[in-house]
Amino acid sequence: MGKAARDQSARDRIKAQREAERKKERTKRLATMTAVAVVAVAAIGAGWWFAAQSSKPEETTAALAPITRAADGTVVMARPGVEKPVVDVYEDFQCPACKALEETSAATLKNLAAEGKAKVVFHTVTIFPEEMNKGITRGNSVRGAAAARCVPAGPAWMAYHDRLFEEQPPETAEGFALDDLVAWGEDAGVTDAGFAACVRNQQHAAAHLAASDKTLEAAKIQGTPTVKIDGVEVDNNVAFTPAELRQAILDAAK
Amino acid sequence: MTSDKPEPSRLRSALPWVTTVSRLVLAAVLIIAGGGKIGTPVLSVEAVKAYQLLPDSLATAVGYGLPILEIVIGVLLVVGLLTRVAGVVSALLMLAFVVGIASVWARGLRIDCGCFGGGGQLAAGEEPSYLIDILRDFGLFALGVIVAWFPPGRFALDSALGLTPGREPDEYNDDLEGDDEEPREGKDH
Repeated sequence: MGKAARDQSARDRIKAQREAERKKERTKRLATMTAVAVVAVAAIGAGWWFAAQSSKPEETTAALAPITRAADGTVVMARPGVEKPVVDVYEDFQCPACKALEETSAATLKNLAAEGKAKVVFHTVTIFPEEMNKGITRGNSVRGAAAARCVPAGPAWMAYHDRLFEEQPPETAEGFALDDLVAWGEDAGVTDAGFAACVRNQQHAAAHLAASDKTLEAAKIQGTPTVKIDGVEVDNNVAFTPAELRQAILDAAK
Repeated sequence: MTSDKPEPSRLRSALPWVTTVSRLVLAAVLIIAGGGKIGTPVLSVEAVKAYQLLPDSLATAVGYGLPILEIVIGVLLVVGLLTRVAGVVSALLMLAFVVGIASVWARGLRIDCGCFGGGGQLAAGEEPSYLIDILRDFGLFALGVIVAWFPPGRFALDSALGLTPGREPDEYNDDLEGDDEEPREGKDH
């Protein structure tokens, strides 16, 4: 073997060795990266699952607590004699976040009222100003709210209330048509002879707006929905997490 | 830029810092945005629906998943792990946000971007600020591109763990063979 050939084979050996090392490095690198990626994806999955679980609504278990209408137009859901804690719910039938609250936490409020653990007071307001979307949004809100005032207090009111949120139109499109509002009342079990006329004439629109303005002013509402427990505003993180909302109300009952 | 004609080596030594700063800015925004939304997944879902771009079931999935995705990507960017992937994902996210906001604007919808939490509704009397939102997200998109293009920058676990294929150990540097040209060259020497 000449010198040149020896050199060559030494070079080849070094080269092969280096190649092997590099391959080993690459494998290690790949394993680490895969591990990190798996952890990251698992964290995302866990967070996703947790988000879905924490916003899962309760099942409504029992019959609703009695529903009455106070002189100021607010609707009270409470077992007789239950005076505290007072849970105030300020909501607008046209507000999407209120619909979200309805879907998430309404069952908790219904259950707690039925269990005699809370007095729930619904304040229907109109939060949207006239200048927004050429008044379409505000119009929807007022029509819905005025119609709800035509529904006598009782289970039918709650059914109607739920239906309005279910049928909530987009903020930019006209919805809550008078014909629909009348039909939904019948679906909800309203038998009042004057109901249809009351809805069509928007008999309570002015009263609703007056009450709404007064409420927004007095309760210093920044936005809807707002939930208060004994007058103290509940953080959205709590209000939109059924288990936490339940706990907060139970704590206030102590 | 410190001079009109920077020396290549100086530019090369500044680049990792640019990547690091981009990583940190992007991470801060993502973590704040994710954190603002993660407590109220329902509102996050609502914010996604407000764009009226995705079918409801998909909007729900995105609403639940986006906050945690933002936080995880943000954390990866802070520590500099899987930097390139994190950079690509954040750039894609920002691009999606730009497209989403632009589409809302074009359709004349009047919403809050919901970027940092909230249900995508504007408070009474509030005006949408689409242009600012788009410019901000476009800037963040650019940062994502920088991170994806020049990973991992200084202070990155990727380097510490040897996850950057461009960086060979030092003894290979004065290699006479010249046979191990990598498509990407080391930036940290």
